Amino acid sequence: MKGAWSLVALGLSLPAWSAEPSGPEDGLSWLRIMASASRQLNYTGTFVYRHGNETEASRIVHFVNEAGGEFEKLETLDGPPREVIRTNDQVTCYLPSTKTILIEKRSARRFPVLFPVELTSSLTDHYEVRQTGMDRAAGYDCRIVALVPKDRLRYGHQFCAEASSGLPLRAKTFNEKGVLLESFAFTELRLGGKFDRDQVKSAYAAKSQDWKVGRSASRSTDRPGRTGWVLANELPGFRKLTESQRSIAGRQATVSHLVYSDGLAAVSVFIEPLPKTMPTRNLSHQGAVNIYVRLVSDYMVTALGEVPAETVMRIANSLEYRGGTGR
Amino acid sequence: MEQISAMMDGELDEAQMARQLARLRTEPGLQESWGTFHVIGDALRGERRLSDTLARQVLEKLEVEPTVLAPRRTAAKRMRTYVLSAAASLSAVALVGWLAFFNSPLVPQTQIATAPPKAAPSVTAVSAPQISNVPSDGTMNEYLIAHQEYSPSTAIQGLAPYIRTVSGSQPATGR
Repeated sequence: MKGAWSLVALGLSLPAWSAEPSGPEDGLSWLRIMASASRQLNYTGTFVYRHGNETEASRIVHFVNEAGGEFEKLETLDGPPREVIRTNDQVTCYLPSTKTILIEKRSARRFPVLFPVELTSSLTDHYEVRQTGMDRAAGYDCRIVALVPKDRLRYGHQFCAEASSGLPLRAKTFNEKGVLLESFAFTELRLGGKFDRDQVKSAYAAKSQDWKVGRSASRSTDRPGRTGWVLANELPGFRKLTESQRSIAGRQATVSHLVYSDGLAAVSVFIEPLPKTMPTRNLSHQGAVNIYVRLVSDYMVTALGEVPAETVMRIANSLEYRGGTGR
Repeated sequence: MEQISAMMDGELDEAQMARQLARLRTEPGLQESWGTFHVIGDALRGERRLSDTLARQVLEKLEVEPTVLAPRRTAAKRMRTYVLSAAASLSAVALVGWLAFFNSPLVPQTQIATAPPKAAPSVTAVSAPQISNVPSDGTMNEYLIAHQEYSPSTAIQGLAPYIRTVSGSQPATGR
């Protein structure tokens, strides 16, 4: 009964599910297929991002070259122009209205290439994974995979993966009441296509010479491991994924960055010395991402992730400094 | 007063909690105590700035919240009340979360609420769909971008979720 209600809450029809039952393992393997498809396929399309009452269309181009290098470009079509470019491990955001460039560079060890087994093996402890039938999106047949949370610490997710390639054509996130929080959906898509470097270059590459540049980089390679910060109480299913000292664009001091994940949702915790100006709110959100700020002695802790507010709050509130290394 | 403190420490059961919240709604003196507890807790923990608004938010919530509210049962009970005020402000943080997210107190943990979406018209700054967006000063954008790299949603959807991070960086659009 609970399962049935959850499905109804996710907007799925029971008959479709009953007609095509399948084990959670199949659902999990579809998640892995989706992840690898979105990294390895060439595709060009338009997707609509919907959150609250806002909708925003963006163009996305993804190419993989012969050497396996990954190139991706996202440009917004509505509102002020913005671009996000991925070149392998580096993500660059161009924000022309403020003449700002934000660069995020990962350490060499890539995550997530695919869903790591150690995380996904426990995924079914916290979500019911179901294939709930077929649908169509952007002109393609797609297979619906739903993840229904078993508790209130995570959101529900529903994906529709293109039937032959597995590329996710639609992704929806539902809150703990079953209300749609945000969705991504391709409205137009071309699969395949030949690698074309020009299509994944920024239109601002030349004009942005004198823009402000903010760089963030993980320093986990030179300062591996412990930050000294720990969770006094871990949350069910959330395990520490990484821990590093790093630089963050716009911040003078080194920031400690811890990531917790249940295999599908992730929560980042950032710890920095008290800034001169404090955020005006301690709980806010950006789409399905909740953000919670709290002070711990001389530090500001920011916890954020695509999880219910309760989850970011509980993680932030159980954070303690146990020492060991420089903060 | 003891009841207020117990409430903030999560030590009351549902019926007691409901009674105390009802009293809080009607007795100005108790509302002051509620505020005082937070000031003490904040002072001890050096957190005055952030949770100054917290007690007020709870009170605002009480004004608009007609239903019986569920206390934070299991988790709060595990928490040791070694320093009253520190524990109190911790619970208060949790309580605000609960006030915001548990409109219906008897929903079992494993069941997604079946109430229609319109059943949650709360107007406080902290309830989920209504909480305010990230302040558009850009202070969170770098964190959002840094987070996105590690989020499994990026693995599934590629660059698309980055639209969140660039959405918030455009204060001029008045979104």
